[in-house]
Amino acid sequence: MAETILQRWGQKFFILGAMTLFLLPLMGMDFKTYLTLTIAGVAVGMMLFLIASGLSLIFGLMDVINFAHGVCFAWGAYVAFTVFKYFESLVVAPSVFKNLLVFFMAIVAAMIVVAGVGIVVERVLVRRVYGSHLFQILITFGGMVVLTELIKIIWGPNDEVMPVPATFKGNWDIFDVIVLKYPIIAIVIGLIVYGIIQFVLKNTKVGKIVRAGVEDPDMVQAMGHNVFLLFTAVFAAGAGLAAVGGVAMSMFTQQVYSEMGGAYLIFAFIVVIIGGLGSITGSLVGALIVGLSYNYVAYLFPPLAMGVNILIMVIILLIKPTGLFAAGK
Amino acid sequence: MAELTPVQIFRREETDKYFKTGTFYLKLALVAVFFMVPFVFPSFKVIDLALKIMIFAVLVASFDILLGYTGILSFGHVMFFGIGAYSVAMMVGKYGSPSYVNLLIGFIIAMGITIALAMLISFLSLRVKAIFFAMVTLAIAEFAIIFATKLSGFTGGEDGILISMPGIFKTSYQMGTFLGLEIKGRIITYYFAFIVSLGLFLLMLRFIDSPLGRVLQAIRDNEPRAEAIGYKTFVFKAISICFGCLVATILGGLYVMWVAYANPESVLGIPIMLDVLLMVIVGGMGTLYGGLAGAAFLMIAYTFLPDLQNLTQSLLPNAHLLHSIMERWLLIFGVLFILVVFFFPKGIIGTIQDFLLQRKATSSD
Repeated sequence: MAETILQRWGQKFFILGAMTLFLLPLMGMDFKTYLTLTIAGVAVGMMLFLIASGLSLIFGLMDVINFAHGVCFAWGAYVAFTVFKYFESLVVAPSVFKNLLVFFMAIVAAMIVVAGVGIVVERVLVRRVYGSHLFQILITFGGMVVLTELIKIIWGPNDEVMPVPATFKGNWDIFDVIVLKYPIIAIVIGLIVYGIIQFVLKNTKVGKIVRAGVEDPDMVQAMGHNVFLLFTAVFAAGAGLAAVGGVAMSMFTQQVYSEMGGAYLIFAFIVVIIGGLGSITGSLVGALIVGLSYNYVAYLFPPLAMGVNILIMVIILLIKPTGLFAAGK
Repeated sequence: MAELTPVQIFRREETDKYFKTGTFYLKLALVAVFFMVPFVFPSFKVIDLALKIMIFAVLVASFDILLGYTGILSFGHVMFFGIGAYSVAMMVGKYGSPSYVNLLIGFIIAMGITIALAMLISFLSLRVKAIFFAMVTLAIAEFAIIFATKLSGFTGGEDGILISMPGIFKTSYQMGTFLGLEIKGRIITYYFAFIVSLGLFLLMLRFIDSPLGRVLQAIRDNEPRAEAIGYKTFVFKAISICFGCLVATILGGLYVMWVAYANPESVLGIPIMLDVLLMVIVGGMGTLYGGLAGAAFLMIAYTFLPDLQNLTQSLLPNAHLLHSIMERWLLIFGVLFILVVFFFPKGIIGTIQDFLLQRKATSSD
């Protein structure tokens, strides 16, 4: 009996419990710290959403777990790093317009380059192994290693400091609470991207085809749409999303390093396992959960920051093994 | 003695035939080679290479039980290797004294943790989809690395744990000479590792040829069908995972007995996982002997790569791009990995086996 109640109400109980849980850290800190950590946590969550949504979308449509996805994130960060270095005068200029210009240039450049990388990965590697999960994982893992090493060859193996345009630095003082500017901007970027994805998926023809493809790719093919072209496009779009996430994250932590792809890939996996593979909203919720709990625990008890995410993942796998918002297959 | 049934006679003939084939003698010769290494090449470098090939060959074979025989991809296999290494290192070094009892306790604790953790991971991740296993194990393996690095008070952090071995395994131990070879602690450790590895390998061969192993192969080939026949595939997968991980744990303990230190980079890192993956792919999935081929290939490559780098440096001093690529040998291994997966998905041993089978088929026609 208890089991059926848990099954029926498990998700609602969980969401309620989770919401109270996020008030719990208040006991260990004062309100201002809590607010700062929450904003930072939501910002990190938004950036994790950017990388996880692509992973989730690619899985939902193509049934492929892309282990090379994290490395797209790193490539995005490095391309933005190059743009910022090249247009250093625009970065250090005190003009808001110039700062925004170079920022958008970096985002666009990162998206284009990484979408290109995504197309190459899809066409050369993944295309040959559709249908076999084992080989997909092996191949994309190999792709991750190669792309990581290419970063080391192109940009050098050392950690670099990411230059941040002047507009994005500093903070606002709101009612004696000091709020960093950048996390707010990152949250706004994340929400805009979430809005764009939802709009494209819900309101455009391409979005409809993609959603139909998530349900049944064979049927979409039978209806006369080129599913393989769609696969490549979604793969490139997912890689581009990861690139935006990489730019945002590297500006947040103000550093780029070659192994960052692998590190954030783990986060992305935890996010999609929590949120449910194939669901964009699930990715957003999962990313917020991971970002917030990581920030709280990193403040309260630093060594266990990674552990708490694994713990949440384990709990979700126990309660609802398909994730909170499982979609499609 | 009762009359032999036709099946028994057939089996006996098959066994007799097996002892007359070339492969059987090849296997015996391989064992003999590993046995003779300290006598023929008494230099530390060669013995070290032979021992690492041996341990990694068996580690890769244990990984192959999961990947090649059950069809489960785990990125946490090296983590179990690391658990064995750390447990032994802690019991003998950090929290205990070098004694045989502590060594044994270290192994036993490691095996206990491994069984618990392997069960937990299988119960968590096998319920949904097999691919979850890869993701969950990767996350937990990463957590293990962070755990070992950050909790430096408990695990020794980046520096790891240095240990000295008890009694006859001690480096300074002397037992006189035998056939011109000084029997030192190192040599005894080598033979100890040799015997245990050989035992584990034979155990794994028995495991995959047992009815249980056949069920695992059935699951790999067609899981819904195996389930339809009436096997609880989940239980069999969990057993396979536990068994493979246990072997990895014991090997981790052996490895730390030889190198006498354990740090996150040497026994836990993702690069080692990549090595193991590469070894199993190059050697051949679904052939336990592939582990030996893959391990030998990669370990020897590691030994000679620096020489190759120096060679290219001296031959083509101006090709900077080539040098930077040569420095990043992981890139070469990554490309090799992808190429092997595409074009030789059966690896060295699998391809040879196919070739032999084909020749047999054509010659018998």
